[in-house]
Amino acid sequence: MTDGDFRHVYVIIEHEDGKILQVSLEMLGEARRMMDDFNKKYLSKEKVVAVLLGYNIKEISKTLIQHGADAVVCADNQELRFVRNTVYTKAISQIASDREIATNIEPEYAVQFKRPRYMFFGADSIGRHLSATVMAHLDSGLASDINKLVVADLQITHQNKTGGKPLTYEKTLEMYRPDFSGFLWTTILCLDNRNPATQKDFHPQACSIIPGVFEVIKPDPQRQGTIINYTPRFDEQDLKVKIIDRKIVKSEIDFDSHKAVVSFGRGVKDLPEQNIKLIEELASEIDAQIGITLPLSKRPFSVSQTVDSTYLIPDRVIGTSGRKVSPKVYVAVGISGAMQHIAGMKDSEFIIAINPDENAAIRNECDVFVKGRMEDVIPIFIEEIQKQKQAVQA
Amino acid sequence: MVDPLNVAVIVKLEPDFSEGNVSYNPDGTLNRAETKNILGPHSAIAVTAAFYAKVKHGAKISIGTMGPPTAESMLQHAQLMSDADELYLYSDRAFAGADTLATAEVLKSGILKMQGKMDIVFSGHRASDGETGQTGPQTAWKLGMTFFGHVIDYEVNTESRTIRVKRLVRLQGIYDVIEEIEAPLPVFIAIDPSYKPKFNTVSQRLAYEKYQKEASQRSQNSKQYLKVFNATQIEGDPKLIGITGSPTIVYKVERIPKGKATRQAEVIDGQDREQIRKIVARMNQSLSTMVIK
Repeated sequence: MTDGDFRHVYVIIEHEDGKILQVSLEMLGEARRMMDDFNKKYLSKEKVVAVLLGYNIKEISKTLIQHGADAVVCADNQELRFVRNTVYTKAISQIASDREIATNIEPEYAVQFKRPRYMFFGADSIGRHLSATVMAHLDSGLASDINKLVVADLQITHQNKTGGKPLTYEKTLEMYRPDFSGFLWTTILCLDNRNPATQKDFHPQACSIIPGVFEVIKPDPQRQGTIINYTPRFDEQDLKVKIIDRKIVKSEIDFDSHKAVVSFGRGVKDLPEQNIKLIEELASEIDAQIGITLPLSKRPFSVSQTVDSTYLIPDRVIGTSGRKVSPKVYVAVGISGAMQHIAGMKDSEFIIAINPDENAAIRNECDVFVKGRMEDVIPIFIEEIQKQKQAVQA
Repeated sequence: MVDPLNVAVIVKLEPDFSEGNVSYNPDGTLNRAETKNILGPHSAIAVTAAFYAKVKHGAKISIGTMGPPTAESMLQHAQLMSDADELYLYSDRAFAGADTLATAEVLKSGILKMQGKMDIVFSGHRASDGETGQTGPQTAWKLGMTFFGHVIDYEVNTESRTIRVKRLVRLQGIYDVIEEIEAPLPVFIAIDPSYKPKFNTVSQRLAYEKYQKEASQRSQNSKQYLKVFNATQIEGDPKLIGITGSPTIVYKVERIPKGKATRQAEVIDGQDREQIRKIVARMNQSLSTMVIK
């Protein structure tokens, strides 16, 4: 492998009829910062390449350049208007392996280029599955739901990868992934098999990135970039998949029209049924929508059918695996403060946590930490809210 | 005479996260040794979706899993839920240490070992331990099947051999969309957690009862329906499975460091009524401010 085989970071852009999804701009921002450091460290000139598929989308190429892309590969075609997994997977894979595109990006590596070095997808309804199928097609590795990225030269000793010998892997992407508990960070690497017995290149090193984690860079109208138009080859069979209808829906659980949100976590576990009733009461006093943490959507308690189907549902999850909310008042009841949850509520204006454990991580993320058991604390809150309401009415 | 539908489900043995069964270490991480394993909740929904095809169309159901020999009882449970006609366990030390791509390779080979060509393959939305949601679509890709994720409803037309699916697509920061898609069979469906089968007609309810009864009989003799395959029998490419076939490795696992305090919390005692009165006043003040959007 020479340094020209695998180059650049390709960022897969998502948009809805020309409106760019926030996560795509966030990925561009992170790709820009990462490659600036990379090029400085390795005295290189590798690029941030935005891959844009759709119909009537030429205009947004400029926006992508302003947000950090050096080049935009734009496939503008009626067949690409909406995402169909097979059609998109093949088009993206063609783009990732296309030497002519690579030549336009960087003529000096025209001959060697094989594939991108890195590839980013959004960890959402569309990007998550696309990342999986594209990487299955390109036969390389993928880490999902990443919230931190580091490029490093790593010394690896691994039975399969290196045949047990220490070898240095240069320019390796460390992909950090918080696990389901929110307490552990797993670093995943995508490495070539350099063991002669199992030799194989695994590029690009790809990941899907959690929305809301990385900062968008300030758009710069002066930034220059290359726009490369690309016409994908379609297979007739794939076009038989027809999108008949698309209906815009509002989630049944509406957080945006409520000024307050009351959320609960595993802390309700001692008396789940009663505690959830209390939380319900508190929420109704301040007209709050009710949210939960991710572990609760796995229905860890046996509660009545009604409570279960009303509250312990994915639609109510706040955090990286659910909704992002920013109400005036956020009350976190029995929530320890795993980072996935924090990411979904940290922009709330006034945050109150109710928790018996003063060392819980949530303490660093709230304005008021009420130390105590929810069974004891919530009734006092409810009484005081009612008293103050009466005072206003009187 | 139309061919009966041939349906497969791939399922996963996962830690049981329900209270009383799940065990956490003092540092908040999962204690795997102490936690029981069950049919994963998303896998269970996929099994339900397959059962719908049985009730509605008399589909033949094959259920497969990659896992340890103990996964057999999970397959029995899945059979009880779906009246599955065949159960497949792909089990070999050589499969261990696989990432999603290498797991998908085993599942692909395993599905190809099932009887007949599949019209629909179902998987869960994601596993509740690994949570990548990649194995389903990657298996689909390796099988060369059209993949649909987030499927909340589906109807098959057995004459035209086509399917209509509804999927719930969340476009974060914009809106959610329900997409209705038509496609020729075969397809691979990762079923959404919100999927609920509806049995509306009398004949469907009768069929439902008939198959449920059959399921409870079959699952008592589930071994009769079980086939176990090892790495050789599955005839997959040994270079593409297990650790050898995995592009990715876990480099390190660490505790997520506590972030810098983003807010300076005032700590108050939950028994102190006077303090709570003040907090409620502050809260009311926040709530009464005008929202300008």
